Amino acid sequence: MAAEKKVILVTGGSGLVGKGLQHVVEQDKRADETWVFLSSKEADLTKQDETQAIFEKHRPTHVIHLAAKVGGLYKNLNSNLDFFRDNMAINDNVLNTSYKTGVRKVISCLSTCIFPDKTTFPVDETMIHNGAPHQSNYGYAYAKRMLDVQSRAYHAQHGRNFTSVVPTNVYGPHDNFNLEDGHVLPGLMHKVYMAKKEGSPLTVWGTGKPLRQFIFSRDLAKLIIWVMREYEEADPIILSVGEEDEVTVKDAALAVAEAMNFKGEVIFDTTKSDGQTKKTASIVKLRRYLPNFKFTPMKEGT
Amino acid sequence: MVGGLYRNLKYNLDFFRNNSAINDNVLSTSHETGVKKVVSSLSTCIFPNKTTYPIDETMIHNGPPHSSNFGYSHAKRMIDVLNQGYHTQHGCNFTSVIPTNVYGAFDNYNLEDGHVLPGLIHKVYMAKKEGTPLTVWGTGKPLRQFIYSHDLARLMIWVMRDYNEISPIILSVGEEEEVSIKEAAMAVVEAMDFKGEVIFDTTRADGQIKKTASNAKLRRYLPDFKFTPMKEAIKESCDWFVANYDTCRK
Repeated sequence: MAAEKKVILVTGGSGLVGKGLQHVVEQDKRADETWVFLSSKEADLTKQDETQAIFEKHRPTHVIHLAAKVGGLYKNLNSNLDFFRDNMAINDNVLNTSYKTGVRKVISCLSTCIFPDKTTFPVDETMIHNGAPHQSNYGYAYAKRMLDVQSRAYHAQHGRNFTSVVPTNVYGPHDNFNLEDGHVLPGLMHKVYMAKKEGSPLTVWGTGKPLRQFIFSRDLAKLIIWVMREYEEADPIILSVGEEDEVTVKDAALAVAEAMNFKGEVIFDTTKSDGQTKKTASIVKLRRYLPNFKFTPMKEGT
Repeated sequence: MVGGLYRNLKYNLDFFRNNSAINDNVLSTSHETGVKKVVSSLSTCIFPNKTTYPIDETMIHNGPPHSSNFGYSHAKRMIDVLNQGYHTQHGCNFTSVIPTNVYGAFDNYNLEDGHVLPGLIHKVYMAKKEGTPLTVWGTGKPLRQFIYSHDLARLMIWVMRDYNEISPIILSVGEEEEVSIKEAAMAVVEAMDFKGEVIFDTTRADGQIKKTASNAKLRRYLPDFKFTPMKEAIKESCDWFVANYDTCRK
């Protein structure tokens, strides 16, 4: 029996995760799936009419909603209101337009940075709303949390299969390598590149002690595609390597240095802040579904 | 957009979206037109379902709200988030108040949708009229803090004039004024001179056993504020209902 045709619209399709999806989909083409990768140039999703128009153009049956207004620490600190309102507008437009046009499934992308600031570890999917998020990006964090609220509400009121995923630190090609705005791994790659070029030491901000779980964008993409095809709950699911694969920022820096064959000195600038010491997330739920999923070894991914 | 338990249960999405739209429109338009102060109204029902008591203003975001009205609750909580955002980014003086159970004239007396005190007032009226017993839903044991609408109004006017924090403030009688549903029912019975039997239908849900809120913050500002004694306020409310039975919301 022929599978029903799917048209999968990926909002935020030109970003780190979107590009990861593009890569994986190229290697795993299915006859019943048409993928459309959207970028912000094609539609301003904060505007209801533009969102409506782009849905009418592509007529998706499924939506992977990655688009968001994002920024580094400093951008967030000063503009929490805008981060909240713009993301609320984008999210409401995408989910509501999906609902009105009969989209069968919407997978939204949350983030481990939205969890409560004061918490026990490891964090799991049930803990998202258990306290205020970190003060620096509460606008972004609450808007993302409301994606979970809305997904569950579309499910409760209309029986829609709207859900969300929670990745930990993602890295891979097409990342944002900006040293002010970007995240830790791409920042390290950029710095090692510059240090090699200029023959200077690699300066890592902070003590190097904070712990993180890093997931390669292509592994995340495979998992998101699995969620799109098979995961039926409205509650979120954390997509990450296990707790045992948590590494220090120092180990991550050394992995990058090795991968890029950097022979210079590595210094830790301890005057710079460390950020959170740990954000350990549990993948028990993911492992219940996919006990055998193999992550790309970090050495290879970097 | 408000509703009773059953309406909320069925329409959590609409409660979330409609209230979010209303709130965003009111606050953003206030900002754009230079409104000097906005005082929004939250509710004790938005607090975390699993919590310690008494609840205070710092605890609003400390856990998921009760699942029956999570849409409404999250939308109300986001008012506090918006207030903080408008203040930090634009210096706006937007704040919020958190009343406990309000009662008084012009309430919603609908027996399905309304709240406990107006429901009791309406039921006693019917029981008197029809010569039947008064049936109170539940065991009568849950505890509530009731605030008379005129007292709440005086406090909200004070907030509008003199309260300058962005974080919310609970407006309620003290913890020691908490009464059981049974005591509230008996107060209505007395005010309306009902002589019939009072029965408790224990097959009906009790709702939350307590929602005890602390008014310590209010008392720091207004140590001498006098609340209308409950007996008097209930009498006034019952008298209003009887006089306005034909036109009131039910």
